[in-house]
Amino acid sequence: MFALIGSVLGTLVGVLPGIGPTSGIAILLPITAFLPPTPAIIMLAAIYYGAMYGGSTTAILVNIPGEVASVVTTLDGYQMAREGRAGPALAIAAISSFVAGTLGLVGLTFFAPTLADVALGVGPPEYFGLVVLSFSVVVNLSGPSLVKGFSAAALGGLIALVGLDPMSGTRRFAYGTSTLLGGIDFIAVIIGLFAITEVLLGVEERTRAVSLAPLGKLMPRADEIRRCLATMLRASGVGFALGLLPGCTPGAISFISYDLEKRLSKTPERFGKGAIEGVAAPEGANNATTSAGFVPLFALGIPATPALAVVLSGLMIYGLQPGPLLFEKQPQFVWAVIASMYIGNVMLLVLNLPLVGLWARLCRIPYAIMAPLILMFSVLGAYSVRNSFADVGMALVFGVVGYVMVKLGYPTAPLVLALILTPMLESGLRQSLSMAGGSPLILVTRPVAATLIAAGLALTAWTLYSRRRRSLA
Amino acid sequence: MMRVALAVLLALGLVTTEASAQPAYPTRPIEIIVGYAPGGGADVAARLVAGYASKKWGQPVNVVNMPGASGITGALRALNARPDGYTLLLDPHATSSMLFAVESDVPFKMEGKTHIALVTLDPAIYTVKADSPWKSLQDVAAAAKKDPKAFRYGIAGVSGIAAFSVSQFLFGAGVPIAETNKVVFTGGAPALTALAGGHVDFAGQQWSESAGLIAGGKIRALAVVNPTRLPGLENVPTVKEAGFPDLDVVGWQGLAGPPNLPAPIVQKWNALLSEATKDKEFIDQAAKVSKVVAYMGPEPYWKFQQDELKKYLPLAQKMGIRK
Repeated sequence: MFALIGSVLGTLVGVLPGIGPTSGIAILLPITAFLPPTPAIIMLAAIYYGAMYGGSTTAILVNIPGEVASVVTTLDGYQMAREGRAGPALAIAAISSFVAGTLGLVGLTFFAPTLADVALGVGPPEYFGLVVLSFSVVVNLSGPSLVKGFSAAALGGLIALVGLDPMSGTRRFAYGTSTLLGGIDFIAVIIGLFAITEVLLGVEERTRAVSLAPLGKLMPRADEIRRCLATMLRASGVGFALGLLPGCTPGAISFISYDLEKRLSKTPERFGKGAIEGVAAPEGANNATTSAGFVPLFALGIPATPALAVVLSGLMIYGLQPGPLLFEKQPQFVWAVIASMYIGNVMLLVLNLPLVGLWARLCRIPYAIMAPLILMFSVLGAYSVRNSFADVGMALVFGVVGYVMVKLGYPTAPLVLALILTPMLESGLRQSLSMAGGSPLILVTRPVAATLIAAGLALTAWTLYSRRRRSLA
Repeated sequence: MMRVALAVLLALGLVTTEASAQPAYPTRPIEIIVGYAPGGGADVAARLVAGYASKKWGQPVNVVNMPGASGITGALRALNARPDGYTLLLDPHATSSMLFAVESDVPFKMEGKTHIALVTLDPAIYTVKADSPWKSLQDVAAAAKKDPKAFRYGIAGVSGIAAFSVSQFLFGAGVPIAETNKVVFTGGAPALTALAGGHVDFAGQQWSESAGLIAGGKIRALAVVNPTRLPGLENVPTVKEAGFPDLDVVGWQGLAGPPNLPAPIVQKWNALLSEATKDKEFIDQAAKVSKVVAYMGPEPYWKFQQDELKKYLPLAQKMGIRK
């Protein structure tokens, strides 16, 4: 029951762009004060994974990622919507979310305390290795021009550096303003780059609607589902394994999963042009990550995302101290919450599939009506993250930046990826160095870290090589 | 007869107008601004206060998170609000004494706030990994002195509680601090996760940040910076019992408002908070979220902040982090 209410609220939160899971849970935290602990936490958890589901809807329909993790979904999802295939895109997002979310829960059910211990072994050098591996994705996201892709990534890295230096507290690129001192908010950047840029382009091209193509079938074809099945399984694996690591951001994980599918695909050229696997992969990874995030939360009391930090404070308000003892002392609570998550996932699927038809029709609404609505929600979304007007201005600025980038043929995805990864790269590297008294040897003497770095470099080299060969051929 | 009635009515009218000259507060929802993300120590304290106040006054008290620039963004917003008591600031050590000890050009003044009351303390706890060979603070001091180059400690932020608590300990123990390895993390959770995973050897985060991993047996507490032992950690000595009576770094959370907040509003909050801090249920709830209830009225609270500043200023200079 409470899982149902939570799922519905969560979907709503996810669909409303900008009101991400964190603010959603924080806004709804007080209402749990009237409930006993178990239903309250069931509801907070449902809001969290419901929001992860819902985030894909706007990403596909209007190119606004509802939360960080659905940035990748826009790449192929929005293209599908423009081709009039919004229905299958939304349906596969829901199905993939369901499959991966449920598989992730199986992992949570059986291995939580063990996995949590493994995750503890991952330290700063390993995180650095992971980032090096993730950066190899940039090559694949670059589109026709490597230089343009790399420039976009470099710009993303620079944007991420604005604000207080996390290691020494030095001010960087703040130009004496306290607005920039707080850093450039990620959500504001992606709302600008994706939603506002899209509106600008739409207005210029005198678009009459997101898609005028006939709606066609709402559900994916049987062969599409079959093709996505392996994708979903891989996405679940990647999402769950990386989701266990509290220092790994969900945004990065969906990029990695997307890249993996593109590499494994026999027809990688379809990616970015409306490949259905390109929707299934990030959405699946995203929801497996969500399930995995509860492992360190319950077993160690460590929140992997800001949204889970709010759930954690919810737990603490009820005096439920997370940790290995939670499983021993409060088994009825833990298992009730986990059981409710299975039910919640089923309900989300049941809830979302019938809505597909309704959502898909939104694509056909005249753009003259849609564009102001998209702008309004973008502004609201950018404001709501930190209750700050400066972020609205930032979103508008990045809307223009995105417009210029698209016009000049620069891809925006590498910028976003670098924006996500740079803080992790910086802290991973600098923490590793200070752990070892300044010696970079720590990165090669720890086997896991060394393997990850080597794999990242090898992948980059290999992709560069095969690109070159293809362009020569 | 009529005149008398009129006079009575007038008198009554006068009486009522006089009573309403003292405006009722609160008559609409109150906002408490928190300069940090939901789930942190300041946020939890704000929600504790907000919950109690809205229950007692029957008006919603909303917590508004405005994270950014180490809490300065939110503080500026609250301090520039109209002083009507409907926009207040959850003012922790990090936007008060500790901030002013580190920064010389904060965009607001420490005395430029209406100080309402101190509400809770969040003491520092010195911790090691659960299976660490070090059983006491003395063991840590001896090991760090013997081989400072191999000593690794994790702190959240260069000028947060842990930076001060660990530095104070190392200075006091005579450890050559420049030779040790300081690993800076972005928050208490990542710092302690690294401690539990054995990537660093020593930490000094706040109680609220450490409680979960201590209860879970992943990290072990060596001493708490509090005059008495803490509920749930009865077997952990205080720093005085551990032989380090000079260690005194504690986190705290108070309530402040924009300058020139009317005295009746300050009094109303003080009445409420002093009552709350004697309320058994409130104290229990605070302990559940790892907070020690510690009420102080406006004047003692202001004096407390000045004392805190005097304590941290020389320490910040010695640590080389004052800007």
